[in-house]
Order: sequence, then structure tokens, then C-alpha cells
Amino acid sequence: MNLLMSDISLNITLKDDNKYVDLSKLKIANCVGCFGCWTKTPGKCVIRDDATKVYPLIAHSQKIIYVSRLYLGSYDITMKTMLERAIPTQKAFIRLHNGETHHYQRNVLEKDAVIIAYGDISEKEQKIFKKLVERNANNMCFKDWKIYFVKEQDVEKTVIAEVNKWEN
Amino acid sequence: MGKLMIVNGSPRAVKSNSKNYIEILKKNINKDIEEYNAISKKIDLFISKLNSCSDLLLVFPLYADGLPVTLMRFLKELENAKLTQKIKVHVLINCGFVEPEQNNVAVEMIKLFCKKNHFDFGSVLRIASGEAILKTPFAFIAKWNIKKLCKSIEKEKQVNIKCTMPISKKTFIKASTNYWIKYGQKNNITKEQMDTMKIEDI
Ligand SMILES: Cc1cc2nc3c(=O)[nH]c(=O)nc-3n(C[C@H](O)[C@H](O)[C@H](O)COP(=O)(O)O)c2cc1C
Repeated sequence: MNLLMSDISLNITLKDDNKYVDLSKLKIANCVGCFGCWTKTPGKCVIRDDATKVYPLIAHSQKIIYVSRLYLGSYDITMKTMLERAIPTQKAFIRLHNGETHHYQRNVLEKDAVIIAYGDISEKEQKIFKKLVERNANNMCFKDWKIYFVKEQDVEKTVIAEVNKWEN
Repeated sequence: MGKLMIVNGSPRAVKSNSKNYIEILKKNINKDIEEYNAISKKIDLFISKLNSCSDLLLVFPLYADGLPVTLMRFLKELENAKLTQKIKVHVLINCGFVEPEQNNVAVEMIKLFCKKNHFDFGSVLRIASGEAILKTPFAFIAKWNIKKLCKSIEKEKQVNIKCTMPISKKTFIKASTNYWIKYGQKNNITKEQMDTMKIEDI
């Protein structure tokens, strides 16, 4: 399956078993760093809110599209909250990966990622975000990724063009 | 020179490694200080205290290669605050992995925050193996670097320093594996259970 996850509502319907997660409609608290998902209920977050339905989808997708506003060269709070809550997909244990220390992954598929970052994004901010995504790739199993920087009004058409590529 | 405001940006505030680093810092700095936990959400009180300070030290963990949401929320509130004087921002970041460079992107984010909001940017200490270092014989390395950070804040001499445990990655991995196994045992969870490939039973 493929996953489209956005921090704003998009007027879009997906075919087949592809999933659309609209984070703006979900209730997701921030990670409190308790490590329960590694040491108490491995693979499950102890906060039983909507995030527990989303991180399995992230893990089991082959292609993902993330749509997020940026803040300081980071995903803004809505998307970043979900990404922090996705650490049950990793194990506590550490391995060498691309020459650095990183956690072992549980049943997480390697994936192609498309990231549509929107807002009024300066060149400096773009540069930081590109570095962030490159670093994230190690921890989020991205084998390949592409980043679009777009104005908010162009989000939907960029998403549609990318989703159409899934279906070809 | 005014006071130093120390902000703990960890969502674990009272039980955080950041808190332990702050305790060491407090023992080593010759400056009056104020303290604030970003999770406490008493921003008005914070701003009134910040207005008596010349320096702001942000102490926080690396989360998903960036700033923890707790700190991002705090920074958004700080952006909207009315400040009566120019403030210099310093960073003490810690991450779980062994490479201090993994913190670099998060530091860039704070620099961008400063540029955007006309804060001066001061010194940086990047600690790696931050979950463990204070519980090992290498705690002195973290302490020594925190002292250096204190000096640089006091003397207004900018530094950008980093530290980690001086062991091979292989040894780090071995030690961290034992650490996590023991952590699980305290919860009656075995290594095999921690090793599950399942995510929410799938
Ligand atoms: C949700 C989450 C994400 C994390 N992401 C990273 C990471 O990307 N890189 C890293 O080295 N450590 C990461 N860590 C580990 C923390 O940075 C580390 O445990 C740190 O010591 C926590 O500091 P604190 O106790 O002050 O919050 C993460 C921890 C959590 C809970």
C-alpha cells in the first residue's frame, strides 16, 4: 500500500488500498519520551490515541507522500508530532547503518518518499529542511526521496500529480 | 551583564537528561539564573522573567533529527512575546546516538529562529550518547564541556563545541544493548519481547 499523509485537509480520493491520513482531523498528543514502546509494550505506544492507527500505516507503506507546512526548516508541529509518535516502529536496540548509529527497525518497508513542503519558505529554510529529510531517511527507511517546496495554494495540484504517478 | 534564563525543552522535563545537564551547569556558572520548563506553559510568567535576563540557554534533546514539539511550541510563543531588551540565545542539545554531528540540523533551526526574530546567537554544546554519558565513567567529559559552555556564556566568547563517549561505535552499540535489556527487565520484558517485529500486532 501507499500512504498520503497531510497536515491540511485535501479534496482527494485514493484508489485501491492506498490510504489518506488527514492529521488535521485526528487527535494526537506529543511523545513524552517514556520509551514505553521499546521497554513496556514493545511495538505499541502507551498513549492510546489516533497515532496508534497511523504509525502502522507509515511502516507498511511502500510509497509515501507527506504534506506539511514548515517551521524553522522543520516539519511544523502537526506533522512533527506524528513523526515523533512513530518511534514504536523502531526497536530500542542500536546498529550501524550508513556508518552511523541508528535503531533497528521492526517490520518497516523500505520506501520512496515524496515530501510536499508548503508555505513561504526562504532559501535558508529550504536548505535546512533538505538536510533534515536526508537525516530522517536513515531513521524512516527512505530509500529515495523528493522534496517539493510550494505555495499553499499549489499543494493540491502537486499532490494530485504525485498520486497519479502511483497509479501508472 | 544580566541574568541567564535556562529553558528545559524536554517533554520529560523533571526526569530528563536535559535536567541533569542543567544541574551541572548551575553548579558551574557565575551568573544569576532563572529557570523554566517549556512543558509548564506559563509563558506570561516566563516572558516577565526573561525581560530581566541578557542570555537565554535552550537545553533540549534531539527528536526525530530535529527540535522536539515541546520546544517548537515554546519557540512559537516566544516569537509573539514583547521583549524589552536584546537577548542572546545559547544551545545545549543532547542526542541518544553516539555522533554529536547528528545534532547539527537542530542547531541550524535555532540559528534560523534567531535570525528571523532578531535574537543574537551565542554558544553551542552538542552532547552525543546523551542518554548514557552521565551514568558512565565518561561523565567527566560532559561535565568538562558544560564548564566550557559556562565560561563562554560568562565571558561572552562564542564557542561551538561537542562531546561524546570516547569509545568505538561497536563498543557503544554493545553497551547500549545491555542498557536497554536491563531497562526492559525492570518492566519484566525480555530481550525477545523487545525484539518483536510487530507494530500494533501487525
Ligand atoms: C521521539 C524521540 C525521538 C528521538 N530522536 C532521536 C534522534 O533522531 N537522534 C538521536 O540521536 N536521539 C534521538 N532520541 C533520543 C533522545 O535525544 C535522547 O534520549 C535524549 O537523551 C533525551 O533527552 P531528555 O531526557 O533531556 O529528553 C529520540 C528520543 C525520542 C523519545
